[in-house]
This record gives sequence, structure tokens and C-alpha cells, in this order.
Amino acid sequence: MVATPERLGDLWVSRELLRNLVGKELKVRYKGSALGFLWSLITPLLMTAIFTVVFATFLRIELGDGNFATFFLSGYLVWQFFSNSVNSSVGAIVANGPLIRKVYFPREVLPLSLVLSQGVHFLLALVATSPLIIYYRGFHPELVPAVLIGLVLLTAFTAGVSMIFAAANVGFRDLQELTQVLFLGWFYATPIIYALFFVEDNAPQFLPLIRANPMTWFVELFRRMLYGTPAREGLNPPPAWPPLESWLVCGAWAVGALAVGYWLFNRLAVTFAKEV
Amino acid sequence: MAEADDAPAIVVEDLHEIFRIYKERPPGLKERLYRFRRADFTEFHALNGVSLTIRHGESVGLVGHNGSGKSTLLKCMARILPADRGTVTLGGRVATLLELGAGFQPDLSGRENVYLNGSILGLTRREIAASFDSIVDFAGVRDFIDTPVRNYSSGMYVRLGFAIAVHVDPDILLVDEVLSVGDAGFQEKSLARMRSFSERGKTVVLVSHALEAVESLCDRVVVLEHGQVIFDGPTEQALTSYRRRLAGGASEPAAVEAVETDPDGDGRARVADAVLTVPGHDPAGPVPSGAKARLDVDVRAVDDLVGRGGLTVGMVLRRPDLPSAVYETRTSWRVTYVAPPPPGESLRASFEFELNVLTGTYLIDVLLGNAETDVVHDVRRDAAKIVVRAEEHDAGIAPLGVRITLDNPEGVWPPESEPPPMSEGGPRFHPARPRAGHDQRQPQG
Ligand SMILES: Nc1ncnc2c1ncn2[C@@H]1O[C@H](COP(=O)(O)OP(=O)(O)O)[C@@H](O)[C@H]1O
Repeated sequence: MVATPERLGDLWVSRELLRNLVGKELKVRYKGSALGFLWSLITPLLMTAIFTVVFATFLRIELGDGNFATFFLSGYLVWQFFSNSVNSSVGAIVANGPLIRKVYFPREVLPLSLVLSQGVHFLLALVATSPLIIYYRGFHPELVPAVLIGLVLLTAFTAGVSMIFAAANVGFRDLQELTQVLFLGWFYATPIIYALFFVEDNAPQFLPLIRANPMTWFVELFRRMLYGTPAREGLNPPPAWPPLESWLVCGAWAVGALAVGYWLFNRLAVTFAKEV
Repeated sequence: MAEADDAPAIVVEDLHEIFRIYKERPPGLKERLYRFRRADFTEFHALNGVSLTIRHGESVGLVGHNGSGKSTLLKCMARILPADRGTVTLGGRVATLLELGAGFQPDLSGRENVYLNGSILGLTRREIAASFDSIVDFAGVRDFIDTPVRNYSSGMYVRLGFAIAVHVDPDILLVDEVLSVGDAGFQEKSLARMRSFSERGKTVVLVSHALEAVESLCDRVVVLEHGQVIFDGPTEQALTSYRRRLAGGASEPAAVEAVETDPDGDGRARVADAVLTVPGHDPAGPVPSGAKARLDVDVRAVDDLVGRGGLTVGMVLRRPDLPSAVYETRTSWRVTYVAPPPPGESLRASFEFELNVLTGTYLIDVLLGNAETDVVHDVRRDAAKIVVRAEEHDAGIAPLGVRITLDNPEGVWPPESEPPPMSEGGPRFHPARPRAGHDQRQPQG
């Protein structure tokens, strides 16, 4: 078992590779499509349109003076980053089998490069949809640092989960299929199309479950900074600095997931070249 | 530069490398659960206690026949594979060339790929930028450097990959068979590059089948066999002994020569049964040429062969009146890994083929051996017999699908018309009609 400081040193030496792989992901994605970056915006906007019609118009979800589209979008962008990262990372080791069998490099750069390139998409999507959010929810430049800190925490959490999935998939190839199903369920277990108060009011017995879901905390964190506080009736308070509790819980999940993910990944990574 | 102190470049101590050969790959959840009940893999020791010390500035060649563990040893030195037992200690920056253009992205330009591949090989951005022009000129792709490599010819692709690789400037260079790609000029160029590398006091470890390359580059050679070092010493001595082994039939192509050396096999595994079926035909009677046939060979392990390398099952189709075989194949020639079953258990190898042969009586021999060594376990001669009856218009061994055309329109007539008389070049007999009663018939002799 190689000591962790040495492994971290390897990762530091490979930062160049990591940067090039992130660049590759972004370039490959945007090359050869005229609309380029717009494509990664179309999914969240389309989803927002569909969910808004279904939930705000057909089902008449009440959000007081709030706006369902921005409410949904502020959670969905966070979810999309997490979900896309893990779902692309899960097969990353197996898909890069030929490279792993032929070259030594710290294997974690493969999932990390995917997470970071999704992070860039997330950031671009945030910038691109900001006019909508500013129009409905007001302009709050003082929250930019908070959003950036939130992004760091979310990225750390996502990286940890992605490493766990990527490493586990080498031993259990069925995980790739399973992940899609799991994430479908996970999406509904996260308050993206609903606000937490709906659960409190209508099904409080589910509340512990929803709160145990780390993505609940990250979605709530970003929603507070982008949308504000959802309420059933009357005023939906505007975007604000999230409470300390949110920061602490998100921070704990981020550090925990990253530590466990990195440790587990490195434990399993030594035999990747034999197994892929 | 070589390290100032006397610390060696590479120290390998009692290195073991064990591969698990799964019967079903890749393992999914189902197989995992199944494995709780019964182990469904066999272990294969690719390296069996290898120890060697390579000092800075040495150029070492690794030779040995296929499957002897050369690449595995190199990959352990490169940290690609973990040691299952023993240790590998490296004293310096290592670069490994196992593949040219590893990780090239077809959609990215040559320029982008130079940076990506360079960083995969461990070069920093600054180092790549510094040698960028030299790389592009070496590869001779300046006009295409901003074109996606998808549009490169395979020659350009390999040249670019190579150009990047030779600009890697580590303390220790590990090279596996990279020299075997490309034409002679290319190989000469890469050899020259490695020679200048070792002349600058760097350490080179080279795996190659090209013994001349090893001879011209290395001052020390390690010969591997069955994952063990069987010789380690000066190049000339090592290669002489290795060549003698090759000539002595102790090596590749493994099983072929073994048939002559040990005709009956050591009996550690047996051909339990070999059954030939020809669907739609009675295999006892004549079958038409081209009929589909199937040979099922049941193989039983007598001793514990697990961990001694894969099995090879072969079939030979021969006609007793001919000096050499009509057809021969082995699972190992087809790059199919056959894991040996545990002692007492058996496995079945089925060969499906077409009897594309002409009239005659054919015999099938079945052979069972170790895929990697010279050992034959069992040979069953005349395991099956088949009589083939082909159309009458061919003779020999194999139907070649011949069509005949003649550039002689007057000399050809359709079977139903009358041919010209013999005095005008007509035939003595009409080939499509019985001879008797034909008016063109002439007295014989
Ligand atoms: N990933 C692997 N899984 C199972 N067996 C392997 C694997 N890699 C190599 N082997 C086996 O290890 C043996 C040694 O291989 P290798 O080192 O490539 O030999 P060489 O380079 O001398 O031809 C071979 O029999 C090969 O089949």
C-alpha cells in the first residue's frame, strides 16, 4: 500500500495532465457543433420549461409571490452538475482501459477531469441563466463569493462520489447500468421540483430520509443563494447568504466524501491495470 | 544525468505477479454473487520471484519467448502493475514507452494532441513548448499540425506519437516493442535516438523480439522463462545461449515443435473424448465437399495445472497419403486463452469448420498442450475419420472455385448443339453424350 502523501505528490506532478484532460473534455464536446456551449444549456432550460408547465400550470404548485421556473432551475443546475459528473465518471476507468494498461499516471485524474469539466459547464450555465434569475429574483453581487465557496464544496463532494463509483465499477461492471436507475430515484429524493416545506407539511415522516440525503443540503445551499427562500404563500424572501448550519453540513459532506472517495479509489486503483 | 551516488536505478526484489483468469469476463454483479459459492477464476503466475538490480547508465535488454513475462516485468517497473509480492524501487524519473500516441484524441488537432500525449508521458507544459518545433519537424507533420489527427495517415500518426515519445527525457527509459512498428528507416531512427540516450548516461530497459536491436543497444541482457530469470549477463553470452535455446526447440512457436519432441504427451491432462458430427449427414458415409462439420473435444485435467499457463487445444486434418497436414489450428494460435480446469474436471472445445476438401479419406488428430511452454499433455491420433466425396470434375486436395473461360469462340459449342466434324477441329467424342452410337466415332489407334 503506497502512502498517501506520496500519492498526493503524484497527483500534484500530474496537474498538467489533469488540466489537459479537462481541456480535452471541453474541446471535444464543443468541437464540431455549431451551437457549441448552447447545447449544454438546452437541457436545463427544456427541463425547466417542462416542469414549470406541469407543476406550476397543471398542478398549480403554490409558491406565493415566487417564480417556479427560477425555483426549479436553481436546484436543477446543481443536480445536473452532480448527476452528469458521476454518470460520466462511473465508466471512465473501464473506458480508458487501453491507456491504463499502457501508461502510468495517477488514475484519479480520469474521474477528476470529468468532474472539473462538468464544473466548468455548471459555471457557464450559471452565468448564462443569470439574466433570468436576476430578472425574477433580483441582483445580488454580494453573494458571488458565497456561490464560489459553494461551488468548491459541491465539486469536492461530487469528486468524492465520482471516485467511489468509478473505482467500484471496475469490480462490478453492472454498476454503470445501476447508476442511471439509482440517480433517477435520487433525483426525486432531492428537493428539486419541490421545496422542503411540502414534505414538512404533507409527509413529515419522510423528512429524516430527505435530510439524510447530502444533495438536499447542496440544493438548499445553492437555492438560498440563487433563488432565496421558497414559501407557500406571500413573500418568498430574496437570495441571501446561507445559514451557518448549511455551510457546516455541506462542508462535512464534502470533506467526508472526498476523503473516503480518494482513499477507496487509491486502494482499488493499484489493480486497475490488471482488471480492465 | 546519472545520480551522483551509487544508488541503483531500478531494484527488483523477489517480484511475483499473479493474474486471475476469470472464466467469464468482465465480472458483473451476477458473477460476483456466484463467486461467493465457487471460485470461478484460476491464478496464473506471470512473474515468479524475479530479482535484479539495474545501475544508472546501464542498457538492459529483456528477452524471452512469448508469455515469458517480459512485458509484465516492464509494467511492474513502470508502476503500471502492482507487485503481488516483492518490491520494485526506482531511483529517478521514469518514462515508459509501451505504445506510441497513447491517448491520442482523434477529434483534437495534432498540436493539442502533442500537449495531451506529452503530459500523459509526464512532460510539463514548458518542456513540451520548448521542444514543440523539434517534435513537429521530427514527425514531419508541420503542414497538418492544426488538423484533427483523425485525418492523419497511420504513418503520420505513428511518427507524431514517436516524435513526442523520443522527446521525453527521463533518467530511466522503459521501452516495449515500440521499435517493431514502422519501416526500417523509422526503426533505425528510433534506435539511434535510444543509443544517444544511453550514451548520455541514462538507463534504458528494452523489451524486444528484435535480437539485433538488443544486440546493438544493450550491454546486458536478462533472459526470462516462465516468469523467472534464467540468464542475466553480458549481451553476447546471453544472446548466444538464448539463440541456442530457440534453435533447440525449447521455445516458440511453442507447441508446434513439441509434437516432434514428445509425441505422446506427459498425460497431465487428457483428451477424454473427440466427436465429429456433420449435421445433415451420416459421418460414417461419404459427405459432400463443403459440408459443415463440428468437432467437440472434451479435455480433462489430470494434475493440477492451474497457474502453469493456459492450455491449447489443436486439431489437425490430414490425408494419410499426403506428407503434410491439410489443415491445422490451435486455440492458442487464435489468441484464445483456455484456462486449465481444476484436476478431475473437464472442459469442451468445439471446432466448427467446413470440409472444403476434395474426394478422399481424411483423418483428424487432436492435440492438447500448454499454450506457453513446449509441454504436450496428450495427443489423440486418428480421433475421427471422414470420407469426402466431391464432384467428379476436380482432382487434388482443395476445391479452388475454378471457373474456366476460353478465348476461342469457334471451338466452344453448347452441349445441345452438334459439334463440327473432327476434320474441322471437332472432338473425337462429345463429352456430354454417351460414346456408343455417336456417328463421329473414329476407329481407335
Ligand atoms: N491482464 C492480464 N490478465 C491475465 N493474464 C495476463 C495479463 N497480462 C499478461 N498476462 C499473461 O501473463 C503472461 C506473461 O505475459 P507478458 O509479460 O506479456 O509476456 P511477454 O511480454 O514475455 O510475451 C502471458 O501468459 C499472458 O497471457
